[in-house]
Amino acid sequence: MANTNEAGRLKQETAIEKIIRRPEIGSFVVMLVIIVALAIASEGKSFNALGLKNNVAIIAQYGIIATGAAVLMIAGEFDLSIGSMIGFAGMAMSMMLKWGLPFGMGEATPVTAFAVTLAMTLALGWLIGTVVVRSGLSSFIVTLAFLFLLRGVTEVSFRLINKSTQISGLPDYKEESWFANLLGGDVFGWFYDLWFMLGGNLNRRGEQWVEGFDARFLWWLVIAGIAYFVLSRTQIGNWIYATGDNKEAARANGVPVNRVKIGLFMFTAFCATMFAACQVFDTNTSDAAKGNLMELFAIAIAVVGGTLMTGGFGSVIGVVFGAITVGLVANAVFFIPAIDGAWFRVFLGGILLAAVFANERIRKRITGGI
Amino acid sequence: MADPYLRVEGLVKRFGPFTALGGVDLEVFPGEVHCLLGDNGAGKSTLIKTLAGVHEPTDGKIYIEGKPVEFRSPRDASDAGIGTVYQDLAINQLLSVTRNFFMGRELKGPLGTLRMDEMNMIAHDEMLKIGIDFSDPTQAVGTMSGGQRQTLAIARAIYFGAKVLILDEPTSALGQKQQMGVLKTIKKVRARGDIAIIFITHNEIHSRLVGDRFTFLALGQTIGAGTNAEIGDEEMRRLMSGGAEMGDLEQELAAI
Repeated sequence: MANTNEAGRLKQETAIEKIIRRPEIGSFVVMLVIIVALAIASEGKSFNALGLKNNVAIIAQYGIIATGAAVLMIAGEFDLSIGSMIGFAGMAMSMMLKWGLPFGMGEATPVTAFAVTLAMTLALGWLIGTVVVRSGLSSFIVTLAFLFLLRGVTEVSFRLINKSTQISGLPDYKEESWFANLLGGDVFGWFYDLWFMLGGNLNRRGEQWVEGFDARFLWWLVIAGIAYFVLSRTQIGNWIYATGDNKEAARANGVPVNRVKIGLFMFTAFCATMFAACQVFDTNTSDAAKGNLMELFAIAIAVVGGTLMTGGFGSVIGVVFGAITVGLVANAVFFIPAIDGAWFRVFLGGILLAAVFANERIRKRITGGI
Repeated sequence: MADPYLRVEGLVKRFGPFTALGGVDLEVFPGEVHCLLGDNGAGKSTLIKTLAGVHEPTDGKIYIEGKPVEFRSPRDASDAGIGTVYQDLAINQLLSVTRNFFMGRELKGPLGTLRMDEMNMIAHDEMLKIGIDFSDPTQAVGTMSGGQRQTLAIARAIYFGAKVLILDEPTSALGQKQQMGVLKTIKKVRARGDIAIIFITHNEIHSRLVGDRFTFLALGQTIGAGTNAEIGDEEMRRLMSGGAEMGDLEQELAAI
C-alpha cells in the first residue's frame, strides 16, 4: 500500500543517533567545553569549594529566570519585564520589611512580606498576560512597556517612601525565621560536610571552609524539575507546546490557549519573585536597579538551551545546560583575573548567534524542511 | 431508508449586510458520503463552520437525529458528534503524532500525568484501522506527508466520537497518489456504516468516485441536489459551475 511505503521511508535510528539528534546535545557539548576550559584556565580555582559555591549561585540565578522565560517562549511569547519584575519584587519585599505592610496591616514578617509581594507580582503577571491575549499585540511590545513601567514604579516608590533607592542594613532574618533561611540561607550542607570529611574543603587554618550552597540552588532545581515534569508528562505541558506551535490548531482542539499564556506570564513573574526573594534574604539589602538586563539574559539562555524563538519547541534540560554555560562564563573573570570582563558579552553574543542557527536547523529537520 | 443523522433546514447566515448563506437545506445519512460542491464563495466554508459551531446561524434549524440543536461553540458541536477536519487540519507540526491525536483530550493518570504508552498504542491502532501503518507515533507530524496528516485528523475525529465527519477539501493541495490515499480512507470510513461523511470538494472526479449524494451550492443557495445515480455528468458540470450553462461559457470563451 502506498501509505505504508511512505511511512517506511523514515529510517529507524540507533540509540546513538537518537542521542545525537536530541535538541539538548548542542548546549550540552558547549557546556562541557566551557567547564573543562574554565577548570584549566583558572587552575582549578573555579571548582574548589568556594569557587563551586559562587558559580552555582550565579548559575542558579540565571537558571531560575531562564526556566520561566523558556517555558513562556515555548508557548510562543516573550517577557521583557522579568528584570524589572525582579527589581519591583525586591523593592516591595524589602520596603515591607523595613516600613511595615501596606494599608497599616502592621509589621511584616518574612512570610507576610513574601506572600504580599508574590500576590502583587502574580497579579502583574496576570495583567501582562491578559493585555497580551486580549489586545492581540506582540508580547514583545507589551512587556517592553512593562519593563519601563515597573522599573519606574520601583524607583518612584523607593524615593517616595524610603527617600533612597537602596535599602541596606535590614536585620538578618535568616537567624530567626525558617522561611527567610529557606530562601536566603544555605542548602545541601551535607555535600560540603562530606567534602570536608574526605579531606577537602579546608581553609587556611585547616577548618571547614564552606558550609553549603546558596538556597537559590535548591529553588532552581525545584523550579526546573517542576517545569520539566509539567512540560514532558502532563496535559498542561502538551497544551503549552501546542499553543506555541500552532495556536489556531490548539484552539480548534479545545486547548484554552489564552489561559495557558496568561498562566505562563504569571509563571515568569513567579520566577522573578523567587530570584528577588533569594537575593533579599541572602544579602538583607535591595536596590532599585536590581535585575537590570536580566530579561535579556533569561531569553539568551533559553535560546542557547535550544528553545525556538518561534515557539513550540524547547527543553528544560537544554536550558539547564545553557544556564550553567552562561553562568560559568559570567563568573570566569573572578577566577581568571587576566581576562577583561567584557569578553563575557562577546562570548554570549557569539554563542547566542550560533545557537539561533543551530535551533533553526533543528526546526527544519523536524518539520521536514518547511 | 434510515433517518438522516444530521438535517439542516433553511439555514441562513448573514455577516452584517452580507448574506453568506441564504436558506440552505442538507440531509446526511450514516454510512453515506455526502458531497458538498460549489465554486469559491458559494458558501461551503460558511456552512461547515456553522455546522461545526464556529458561527451561530442567523436563521434556520439544525437537527441531530431529529432533535433540534443549537451550537454555541465548537465544543458543543463536537459533543453532539460533529467532527470537522479543516483544510489546515488543526495540527501542530512540531509535536508528535500521539500528542496531536490526543490534543485537548489527553488521557491522564491518577496524578494528572499523561498515559503516554497507552496513547501511543491507541493512536497507532486507530490510524491503522483507516489505512496507514505509522510505525512510530512519537515522530513529529512535520515528518508526515499531506495524506498521512489527513488520515491522522480523520482518525482523531472518529476516535473521539464523530458521527458526522466534515472533510473540508481534503484532497486539494495533495499529489495524485495521496489524493487517492485520502479517497481510500473515506471509503474505509464509509464502510463502517455508522458515520455520515460530508465531503467538500472542487473535484468532480473525486466526488463521483466516493459520493452517494450531492448538494450543489452557488451564491449561498442550494441550486441542486440528488444521489449519484440521479445526477448525470452534464448536469453535474452545469451545477458545479454555479448553474451557468457550460455551453454559454464555451461560446463566451470562443468569442475572446
